[in-house]
Amino acid sequence: MPLYRRPGFWAGGIFAAFGIISALRITDAIGSTTGFILMVFAMLQIIPLTRASLAKQRSTGHLSPAIVRYTRRFLIASFGYMLGLGIAVTIANRAELRQTESFLIALLPVIPVLGMIWTMARYLIEEEDEFLRHRAIMASLFGLGAVLTLGTFWGFLETFEVVPHIWAWWVFPIWALGMGLGQCWMALADRRAGDPSGEEA
Amino acid sequence: MKNRLKVLRAERNWSQQTLAEQLGVSRQSVNAIETGRYDPSLPLAFQIAEVFGLAIEEIFLRD
Repeated sequence: MPLYRRPGFWAGGIFAAFGIISALRITDAIGSTTGFILMVFAMLQIIPLTRASLAKQRSTGHLSPAIVRYTRRFLIASFGYMLGLGIAVTIANRAELRQTESFLIALLPVIPVLGMIWTMARYLIEEEDEFLRHRAIMASLFGLGAVLTLGTFWGFLETFEVVPHIWAWWVFPIWALGMGLGQCWMALADRRAGDPSGEEA
Repeated sequence: MKNRLKVLRAERNWSQQTLAEQLGVSRQSVNAIETGRYDPSLPLAFQIAEVFGLAIEEIFLRD
């Protein structure tokens, strides 16, 4: 399979781009506006990533209409998040905001995240394949376990001043990451059970 | 729960994909049920039985 058809290639590209941009930003090699523009371009890789993922799922018999809808909605919410976050950070950096204004600015990235959560909920409602639904629920619980474990552990480490304070918005990325790890773990279990890459058994 | 899906499928020369299409589920679901990694709900078990023209207990066996 060519590299550009592999979801891992594009996922790796996004992480690599984010890493490089973050490093440039931390070292002050680029300004916040340039960093934001570069992040938006890096995020565009999510389009080929989505296409490659859908093609792979289609070839392995995992694709359902609900997954297609979920992917489209999540893609829109992701771009909304990037846009909302960029606008919020730009305004916050350049203007003296009152508390009410700060509250409204904070909503800009939050609303798309609520859209992502709604998208996940809709997927569980709309998925007609009970096994795929079961897997999505298991992955969500895996993510929840990751959030509760890391959050509680980090919280006590913070209480005893072992680690620095981190912002609470990390719960969503940690949950999503845990969900992804859960899906990987189940995919590995599939392979061990004799369903390698969805080929006919 | 053990089942005879693989044998029944082989007798009819059906692939997992063929069975999945008849049931309206993903091929992965058929594989998971066949290998005992997932026990289907009662409605899906009835649907499987209907596709094979058998009773549920002739397909799914107690451990």
